[in-house]
Amino acid sequence: MSDPILSLKNVHTHIEQHHILQGVSFDINPGGATILLGRNGAGKSTTLKTVMGLLPASNGSILFKGRGINKKKPYEIARMGMGFVPEDKAILATLTVEENFRLSMLNENEKSHENLEEVLDLFPALKKFWKTQAGLLSGGQKQMLAIARVLVCDHSLLLIDEPSKGLAPIVVEQLGESLIKIKDKTKVILVEQNFNLARQVGLDCFILDDGHVVYQGLMEELAKDKALMKNYLGI
Amino acid sequence: MNTSSTLALKNETKTVNFKKYLLRGCIAGLFLLPLVWMDLQTYLTLMVAGLSLGMLIFLIASGLTLIFGLMDVLNLAHAAFFAFGAYAGYSILNLLNPLGWVETGSFLQSIISLGLALLVAALVGGILGFITEKLVIKKVYGDHLMQILVTVGVSFVIVEILKIIWGVNDEVVPMPMGFSGSSIVFGVFIEHFRVVAIVIGLMVYAGLQLILKKTKIGIIVRAGVENQEIVQATGYNISLIFTLIFAAGAALAAVGGTMMGIFNQAVDPYMGDQFLIFALIVVIIGGMGSVTGSFVGAIIVGLAFNYFAYLAPKLALGVNFMIMAIILLIRPKGLFGKD
Amino acid sequence: MTQTPTLVEKDRMDERAKRFKSPTFNLQLAVIFILAVAPFIIPSFTFMDVMAKIMIFAVVVASFDLLLGYTGILNFAHGMFFGVGAYSVALILYYSKSPGWHHILLAAVISLVISIVLSLVISFFSLRVKAIFFAMLTLALAEFAHILAVQWTSLTGGEDGISFVLPGIFNFSWSGPTFFGTQMNGRLMVYYLILVCAVFLFAGLVRFVRSPLGRVLKSIRENEQRTVALGFKTFGYQIYAIVFSAAISSLSGILFAMWICYVNPDSVFHTAIMVNILLMVLIGGMGTLYGAMIGAAFLIVTETWLPSILKAGASFAPDVAIIQNLSDRWQLYFGILFVLVVMFFPKGVIGTIRAMLGQKK
Repeated sequence: MSDPILSLKNVHTHIEQHHILQGVSFDINPGGATILLGRNGAGKSTTLKTVMGLLPASNGSILFKGRGINKKKPYEIARMGMGFVPEDKAILATLTVEENFRLSMLNENEKSHENLEEVLDLFPALKKFWKTQAGLLSGGQKQMLAIARVLVCDHSLLLIDEPSKGLAPIVVEQLGESLIKIKDKTKVILVEQNFNLARQVGLDCFILDDGHVVYQGLMEELAKDKALMKNYLGI
Repeated sequence: MNTSSTLALKNETKTVNFKKYLLRGCIAGLFLLPLVWMDLQTYLTLMVAGLSLGMLIFLIASGLTLIFGLMDVLNLAHAAFFAFGAYAGYSILNLLNPLGWVETGSFLQSIISLGLALLVAALVGGILGFITEKLVIKKVYGDHLMQILVTVGVSFVIVEILKIIWGVNDEVVPMPMGFSGSSIVFGVFIEHFRVVAIVIGLMVYAGLQLILKKTKIGIIVRAGVENQEIVQATGYNISLIFTLIFAAGAALAAVGGTMMGIFNQAVDPYMGDQFLIFALIVVIIGGMGSVTGSFVGAIIVGLAFNYFAYLAPKLALGVNFMIMAIILLIRPKGLFGKD
Repeated sequence: MTQTPTLVEKDRMDERAKRFKSPTFNLQLAVIFILAVAPFIIPSFTFMDVMAKIMIFAVVVASFDLLLGYTGILNFAHGMFFGVGAYSVALILYYSKSPGWHHILLAAVISLVISIVLSLVISFFSLRVKAIFFAMLTLALAEFAHILAVQWTSLTGGEDGISFVLPGIFNFSWSGPTFFGTQMNGRLMVYYLILVCAVFLFAGLVRFVRSPLGRVLKSIRENEQRTVALGFKTFGYQIYAIVFSAAISSLSGILFAMWICYVNPDSVFHTAIMVNILLMVLIGGMGTLYGAMIGAAFLIVTETWLPSILKAGASFAPDVAIIQNLSDRWQLYFGILFVLVVMFFPKGVIGTIRAMLGQKK
């Protein structure tokens, strides 16, 4: 296979005095969606934030497209082609839907407007609320917007943190369809607690526990391994 | 069930709106009250004077409220930026004066020299703000007490540097010829520079609104105020943006300083302190962080000050405190403050 | 019928038993003794002036610290209350035909009433909203007081200020022999008045902080919500502290005016005084009270002698204008010191020493 798009080697992260990531290493290959699984507090979100540069890695190395990004600022990493959708419907509530999209367009040109058209085809509901304050949207629409606004840019890697959290089952279904379309175009790393959604979208997966990677393999294989699932995911 | 609750909600918003408009109406109505004691021409003359003073105060207050509203930093070095800007503008006018561009010359030359003075003041103020933010403010985000203390120290330092550069004495500022003098229109006495002050104040207000509401920079700034993490992860250097906001606030203070220097035709190292009190009152009245609030607050303070200075000179300063107290009693967060 | 004392009572009894034996107590006695004999050891007016000002400002700063350090409230009008005290004694002595003891007492009562009423009004208006509001409001008020003192010329004499004569014992002059080279006169009496009052006021502040009320204030500073949850009305306690500190500040203003026998708007109402008070608190250490003495001593000593030292230094390069300018503007160094202290030394002298002692244990 080709070179990994993202590779972590022995990454440690501290939040205040807590040692959250205790030597996380993995390689992520381009294509499809990779799922990060694990219990609450296992370090999934911390992993994404560390990769994005929002939390400083105290040790280890992170390579994105073959270049070290440990010491880089979040905005530099973003401009290298990494998109990040934080958890809890990360939109800017005081801005309108339009402004949320404009914020995401780092360069406003024809290409980005083309992208916008495509994205709006993917999430048609957002078009209806174009001039509405994003804070007034429903929970599902907010999450759609949070993902959609990142898609406007041509990213080579998307980090998406628990998109299904707090959404109604029917909305989660729609979300799953959208995510499948997205992962066909762009590499996605998805943190997801909803195992059905994860299985629907993901190709391979990593399980984190207590700040370590404890399992790595294909989604389908994991689904068969009941003991492993019970042990680490409690399903 | 559902409809009735929606109705109740609607009614509630209606009463809130009604209350808001009543309050605003009362305030507007109060400003017709001086007509009881004076004739219309005096009233209008004082109105022009009050509006121009209000616009000058707005220039100072806007920077203060911008920095507070967008960065949650209470900047007490603002008065020092103001004074420094006033001296910078004075220097430019002083430099241009022997060339015959300021106190003599054509109207166009007057405009150019004023524009140049304001531009240089804004630049100097901006640079000063940039340095201050990088060196000091950056370290004290999120801690109001530390911010207040540290900016008090910074203001002390800046005023001392000002004295080293320009000396400790009052200086006379030349007034550009095109704006000096006055006219009488329908019996209303109008000093020309007051009109300039009003125009510049309106321009700054409109410009700020336009930048914040319509441009990409405005979107980034408002987004950064709401959630720094998202904006960073989207690809914007938020710390640079904050530095620039601070610099812009300082530049506004400096522009206000130059305008005030020309208006009074004098500058002195402590001139900032006297106007900081106005700016603080305006920001408190208008609601901290709201540009529109500062605009309205500045007009209220400017008008009230002028009317009272005419009717009861001794009470003029006190009346602003009275207004502040009354508004705080009714709306503790100011007229446009967010609850 | 002897009950076993509760933990708190036991703590208090322990503290009481040790009160007069602790090294701090001996240190306190020593400081008072040194201040008492100082005028006779170094018979110089400048020296006595410095000592008197240190005592006065130690009290002002300590009362400011009571607010800032123990409750986290920043009151920019603290210097204004100082000015209120100074102006009230000055005006009363100036306008009374034959000034006497009772006039000074009257001034004390009047300034106390003014400062208590004013501080109550300010706190009612602003404390409910947000602490930062309080800072802004008091700053505006302090500026207002300064402008008022300048512009109300018919009462205050405007920028020229008021000089006045002290009554009775504070104004006698002794033509007899000197003691250890020190003239016995009214100034010396004022010096001792200041000493007695300063010790008394300072002890009052220490007592206030150690009282149950002071404990509540400390807990408000640490965590206001928890204090509310414990059942204390924090608002009322904060008002106590504001009023008490304002009252003490105005009393020390009276002492200051009596020492100088002259007031003008810049000497008691100017923001520079507030900046000095802030700097003294920061240098000594917020929330330590005793730090006020160190801060006041440091600042007043340097303020008195630094300009002449700089002048002497600058005389080596008499032709370089920048060096001359830099030596004239000694306050610049205070400003820089101020910023540096806030950013890198926020605990101050006493705070740092306490932290070091705490680590050793």
